[in-house]
Amino acid sequence: MGMLRVISKRGDDRVHWNEQDALTGDPEAMAAIREAERIFASERARGSTAFHVEAGKPVERLEQFDPQATQIILVPQVVGG
Amino acid sequence: MNLEVLVYLLIGIIVALSLIPLWRLALDYYLEWSEVNRRANELLRSVLTDEQYRQLKRHGYLDIPSPRDPECIYRVPHAPDQVGVIEQGRLKAGLCLQPLEKVPDSDIVVMHKLMIEADEETYLQTANKFIAI
Repeated sequence: MGMLRVISKRGDDRVHWNEQDALTGDPEAMAAIREAERIFASERARGSTAFHVEAGKPVERLEQFDPQATQIILVPQVVGG
Repeated sequence: MNLEVLVYLLIGIIVALSLIPLWRLALDYYLEWSEVNRRANELLRSVLTDEQYRQLKRHGYLDIPSPRDPECIYRVPHAPDQVGVIEQGRLKAGLCLQPLEKVPDSDIVVMHKLMIEADEETYLQTANKFIAI
């Protein structure tokens, strides 16, 4: 299972997908991945930064959506204060 | 009951009734913000180790070791404030970095942690730096 978490003023919005089901051609699973990918691209275009976060592994910055990631966190655009 | 008391009573009832929508609005805002904070705390808890979470709850800040410099630590507060840059146990600078949209304090801690650990160079380039005197 993969999860995209978008940090925003609403807390974090979550989108889940199941890559295994998508690989077997499940239309709902494929649609969920497409939706997560769309949100990822849209938030990145707004200046958000994406991170691949997995327990026990170092955090990595993501430039492209990765359906194999277990958890992606999108942080809104930041500026020097 | 004389007429004057009756008038005051009526005015009081009218004022109280007119305030109901405002109370409702304030309550809705409070409940929504509580839910937002609950979710932000849940996310924060999921990205921290037990030790880091305990430190944050006990001291109100989180120490994140610099990935590039073993002698440097970033002290991230759980409240709106500068991030301290600590080198060899001494505060050397303060960093100020904030999201463009208002997010809960717990999400800001997550933001600092992810940026420092995954891309410290960009983090330092983006933050405004204040040298400690």
